[in-house]
Amino acid sequence: MMSNDELRRRVVATLAEELELDPEALTPEATLYDDLGLDSLDAVDMVVALEKSFGMKFNDEESLKAVRTVNDLFELLIKLKESQTADEA
Amino acid sequence: MKCDVVVIGSGISGLTAAALLAKSGRSVVIVERTSRPGGALKRFVRQGVPFDVGFHYTGCLGEGDVLTTLWDYLGVRAIIPIRPFPPDGHDELSIAGYDQPVRAFFSYRRLRDELERRFPGERIAIADYLGKIAAICQKIPFYNLELPLTPFLRGFQEPPVSLCDYLTKLTADPQLQAVLASPAFLYGIPVARASLAVHAMVAHGFYRGAYTIDGGGQAVVDAFLRILEQAGVTIIGKNRVDEILVEGGVAAGVRTDRGQIIHCRDVIYTGHPSAVPAMVPAGIFRPIYLKRIQGLRNTASMFAVFAVAPDETPGEPDWVNHYHIPAGLAILPETARVPRTERVLMMTTPERGRLPNLKNNHRGIILLRPALWEEIERFAPTGRRSRPPAYLAWKEELAGEMIAAAGRYWGESYAALRPLAVGTPLTFRDELAAPEGAAYGAQHCLGQHNPGARTRLPGFWLGGQSTLMTGVVGAALAGLVSAGEILGLESTWEQVRQCR
Repeated sequence: MMSNDELRRRVVATLAEELELDPEALTPEATLYDDLGLDSLDAVDMVVALEKSFGMKFNDEESLKAVRTVNDLFELLIKLKESQTADEA
Repeated sequence: MKCDVVVIGSGISGLTAAALLAKSGRSVVIVERTSRPGGALKRFVRQGVPFDVGFHYTGCLGEGDVLTTLWDYLGVRAIIPIRPFPPDGHDELSIAGYDQPVRAFFSYRRLRDELERRFPGERIAIADYLGKIAAICQKIPFYNLELPLTPFLRGFQEPPVSLCDYLTKLTADPQLQAVLASPAFLYGIPVARASLAVHAMVAHGFYRGAYTIDGGGQAVVDAFLRILEQAGVTIIGKNRVDEILVEGGVAAGVRTDRGQIIHCRDVIYTGHPSAVPAMVPAGIFRPIYLKRIQGLRNTASMFAVFAVAPDETPGEPDWVNHYHIPAGLAILPETARVPRTERVLMMTTPERGRLPNLKNNHRGIILLRPALWEEIERFAPTGRRSRPPAYLAWKEELAGEMIAAAGRYWGESYAALRPLAVGTPLTFRDELAAPEGAAYGAQHCLGQHNPGARTRLPGFWLGGQSTLMTGVVGAALAGLVSAGEILGLESTWEQVRQCR
């Protein structure tokens, strides 16, 4: 299973590449909307890029809505990774 | 030239958006690539016989239904001669390998009765299917006009359920599977890629009633042109928009291939989204978005034969659409390896009723069969006026094949149909600006995210059937949403639904 550090690195790499963001700006405390300039129209592309990169599905509306910062995204993906790996096991 | 809004494309989506905007006092210019407005709703005439390309029958035109309500609001319903199918009107589904056709009535109750009579052991499956279709649509504002639009358009979408998984678990009867999957013909996606929700949105419309229009799709176009003219909307034909002008980061106008420049505050583009990247200056959209809209997988195309009976008329004009379909879930081919003769064949007519003397009336008969782009790709570089003889010969062979099949399926008299025109994916690509000749635009399928009306370029909006929903109803609603984004989504929706 992928370590959490590895997961964080992969999130940053995916967002930097697919959404053309500056990797330096993708700090854990950076907010997606204000700091990174993503808007609701980017949400579909962001979700699709992350789902593809991690082979996981964002299947919970509430937790996705609660994402504000890059760190929130890390935490959500770590939780998803654990639950979806548990499902497979 | 200057206006508030430029609408690109004059199909039902563009006409709807333009009419809504004009009604709210916006000055609107429609820019159309061809010389005649109307897109896929236009009719063409061969030897005096009118034929419809994109409009054969539709749902959503009953009392209180969304299209009726929208057309009432716009003032076009009163001038469109809508004709409901009578209670016994239906799709007659002949299933390959089985004797007696199944009648798919345009009514939940009659359809359920027919299915229970024909498949007495499958009562639970039938109830489950019809119940699910109705329940899904109860949550969709276009079928439950009490609901607001915004949560449906902007909200979180549940992961879609695969239609194939659902139907496979529901029943093992290949005949019943074929019947339940058959509405896929009306949105052009192979069952393996279709979602239950999209299937429901199309099927539900027909299970609640089907309608034709005297004069076909052209009557709809003419009605819209009348009210648009009254509202002062300008239509510029024979101009293809090549460039969206951007000033200060917002849409500011369009430039056409003939050098026309129209300045405006908003632009609605109703064509296939794959053409957007070439029209918009670089750097406006993220590459991931451009990749997504350029890579959209398309719906099936069609082989179409537009024919008339020779001297003897093949039966009365009836209120039946005839389908010969493969058993199981193979209603649409996934690849061109499926032989044409094993694919669904549909037979319909552009005019019903009022045909006192069939012999003198030349009732047109239309045969449709799904086609895939890959089987015609070898002729792709040719234009409308430069098709090689090999293509023409191949078209003739196709027509012969489909007419022979109609004779086998529906009676010897149909084997003598005289073809007046034949359409292929190339025809639809070139006449309708449909990439790959796609009959229903980009697929609304599993794993594909179609773009919505809003884009990252302020003042630039998308409409058309590739965005929101498919078909005539879907394209009209996409027009409603794109105009609604400019005028205020919920306030527009509120005004429209007050016409119920």
